[in-house]
Amino acid sequence: MFKSYFALAMDGPNKASSHDRHDKRADMLFSLVVKGCALLVLIALLGAAFSMLWGGREAFATFGWKFLWSSDWDAVQRKFGALVPIYGTLVTALIAMIIAVPVSFGIALFLTEIAPAWLRTPIAAAIELLAGIPSIIYGMWGLFVFVPFMAEHVDPWLDENLGALPVTGPLFQGAPIGLGMLTAGIVLGIMVIPFVASIMREVFLTVPSEIKESCYAIGSTTWEVVWDVVLPYTRSAVIGGIFLGLGRALGETMAVTFVLGNAHLLSASLLEPGNSIAATIANEFTEADSPIYLSSLIALGFLLFVVTFVVLAVARLMLMRLAKRAGENKQ
Amino acid sequence: MINESISIFTAVAGNDTNSGKVIGPAKMTARNLNFYYGNFQALKNINLDLPEKSVTALIGPSGCGKSTLLRIFNRIYAIYPKQRATGEVLFNGENVIAPSYSINRLRSRIGMVFQKPVPFPMTIYDNVAYAIRHYEKLSRTDMDSRVEQALRDAALWDEAKDKLNQSALNFSGGQQQRLCIARAIALKPEVLLLDEPTSALDPIATAKIEQLIEDLKEKYTVLIVTHNMQQAARVSDYTGFIFHGELVEFGNTDDIFTNPAKQHTSDYITGRFG
Amino acid sequence: MTTTLNLRRQITDYGARIMATLATLFGLFWLVWILWTTVSNGLPALKWSLFTQMTPPPGADGGLLNAFVGSIIMSGLAVLIATPIGIAAGTYLAEYARNTRLGETIRFVNDILLSVPSIIIGLFVYELMVRQMGHFSAIAGAVALSFIVLPVVVRTTDEMLQLVPSSMRESALALGVPQWKVIRQVLYRASMAGIVTGVLLAFARISGETAPLLFTALNNQYWTTNLGEPMANVPVVIFQYAMSPYEFWHALAWAGAFVVTMLVLLLGLVSRALLLRKKVNV
Repeated sequence: MFKSYFALAMDGPNKASSHDRHDKRADMLFSLVVKGCALLVLIALLGAAFSMLWGGREAFATFGWKFLWSSDWDAVQRKFGALVPIYGTLVTALIAMIIAVPVSFGIALFLTEIAPAWLRTPIAAAIELLAGIPSIIYGMWGLFVFVPFMAEHVDPWLDENLGALPVTGPLFQGAPIGLGMLTAGIVLGIMVIPFVASIMREVFLTVPSEIKESCYAIGSTTWEVVWDVVLPYTRSAVIGGIFLGLGRALGETMAVTFVLGNAHLLSASLLEPGNSIAATIANEFTEADSPIYLSSLIALGFLLFVVTFVVLAVARLMLMRLAKRAGENKQ
Repeated sequence: MINESISIFTAVAGNDTNSGKVIGPAKMTARNLNFYYGNFQALKNINLDLPEKSVTALIGPSGCGKSTLLRIFNRIYAIYPKQRATGEVLFNGENVIAPSYSINRLRSRIGMVFQKPVPFPMTIYDNVAYAIRHYEKLSRTDMDSRVEQALRDAALWDEAKDKLNQSALNFSGGQQQRLCIARAIALKPEVLLLDEPTSALDPIATAKIEQLIEDLKEKYTVLIVTHNMQQAARVSDYTGFIFHGELVEFGNTDDIFTNPAKQHTSDYITGRFG
Repeated sequence: MTTTLNLRRQITDYGARIMATLATLFGLFWLVWILWTTVSNGLPALKWSLFTQMTPPPGADGGLLNAFVGSIIMSGLAVLIATPIGIAAGTYLAEYARNTRLGETIRFVNDILLSVPSIIIGLFVYELMVRQMGHFSAIAGAVALSFIVLPVVVRTTDEMLQLVPSSMRESALALGVPQWKVIRQVLYRASMAGIVTGVLLAFARISGETAPLLFTALNNQYWTTNLGEPMANVPVVIFQYAMSPYEFWHALAWAGAFVVTMLVLLLGLVSRALLLRKKVNV
């Protein structure tokens, strides 16, 4: 039993130090490998940006800044501009957020302050699970179920009742085919709801209960606690969560591609088919028959990347602010 | 600088003549030791001898730097980039806080047990065998007897022998802490550092650990940090009182508790602050 | 005066409560509708031939065998590529660069990569691999999917390792065991459940990803296990068949959608059970 102990002791300094050197080398190697892998994450994002800039260079060189505001999209004459897809992307994302933000806020409020305790966890879990359903499912549902529903029930009503009004009129005129910006925006909104609601709920849960309790103790109603305490406390993170949802809505491909109608039309009406950046790329990439066509599609991807990068960076910075404060409170 | 440390040593020796006890030869020696958290100096010019095969206790109010001092002896502070020590800690004649001294070799010779018991997420057997495996290639039977000896030394064998292949997380807090001691002494270190080892335990578990510490000094040099003065008085042979990052007084435990030389020490021991 | 004020406060509060409850019902209503559509269309289309026959030409009968196999190959390969790299990168963030500027930067970039539109990943890998190789291929598809798995694994590894108490790190290092061994043998073991959950969630996520495969793996009507060729996969087949005018193809698309949805929900439940009460944000 003591043999090994003595063996170790009697091996002397030389034997010991070779073991030590080996340890040191292995430690060094390991730290270099993990650092290299971490740098790979950095390189991946830079690589994505650069490769799209590279792939789109022909389009940028040929069309210049006009690429941004030209509404041409002509594969035969090889003239391309990003205006229609940009417009479609922004409008559908805007519709989505108009629907998703208040609903998500309501859900988060319900799950943190209103629902009985036994109901909170299962509903929160269900919503988080549903946030993971692939977007192609939303797209199929949109195409086979929701588009006919819109065409039959919603579009005609909108056209009839709002289409004749002076201000909203141009937004809601058109043939009731179901496909279009409004439908796409709604589907996107539904998709983003579980996502934003989960973040808002988690953010609301970070409010220290002492703060809320002291507010309830002076007789505040639930709504007053949420409006006067919870929201101001979590404001930056709530905005961060909304921006994360916006990032998702802007870049979502499959759900939109199914229901947007794939038409390069610049129309004020939300009932007309349109196009978005992601849907254009998804629909036309494998059909692109000339280098400039392909390059234009990749250039579109670059634009999408830049926009979502900014939105997501804002989102993360906003979320980090609350995380930092929550960390300070803990200490 | 050398003169300073000698003068402290003679001061301590002077104390000894009073009580008639002699401080044994030092196993580890801290000389002119300073410690910094970033720009904050947590320890100032510490000179201290750890007498061999005996228990030395460090006491003082919380935040005084006693745990900081303990954590220098095996350089565990080096995990954190902003912490650094200057001065010397001599161990078998070598300065262990010099960067050239192998940190892993040092830690394998100086065992450490922490405030909260932290068993590794593996079986009881593997917890004890874990560090041995890194340093020695033992046969199955050698390893078995080595693990058994460590568990016996930690007074845990009777409770553990039927559960060697169970997760260590099933143990009670006191058992987990003795497992951590077994894990540390399995490597047969020369010095054992105990950082408030009973502060998370109930009185019965505490009594067992204190008994164990008594037994451990037959084989090891023990340095223990405790906020519990009665514990220091019960288990230690020597006591150092640390206050505001300075070693105010060091000597035989009996002297420190019955006849402290410094006003600060006597104030602390009689409970006037801290 | 005070009573009317109080009454107004009460009414506002009731209003808010009712609106929040309605919002929850509204949100759940759509989700239930979508799930119901998937089940009611997918379940009748679920036949044994789905798993034994190849994808059919227009109008003919068939199954999704080659698509299932293709998806499994590419998703599995993506997980195999991204998991070790992701665990290593997460380890760097949690164990070596916790408060450094480089660590913060990489964590930030990883968070962005986590939510970057997947179609952009597809374009990136198109430029990176397909254009270089001159043709679409399964390996390009797997690489594209691995860029989606990577940030998820990095994030969960980072978070799970940060949850391991520093006392465990200290007591393992205090035994004189070198850091890389401590990380591999103690810290990974302590955070295993969380990391496995991260990988499962990432697998769930890529099993339905369509956009990154459209221009990398493309599709293939025939059976192949050659990684250098275009390969069939469930999401792209669903996309193609759903957009087609043929009834039978629609049925196959629904069956595929049903299987994918059930898989995703199942993986979500399993990962939840694995994680117990530990938290991960992905």
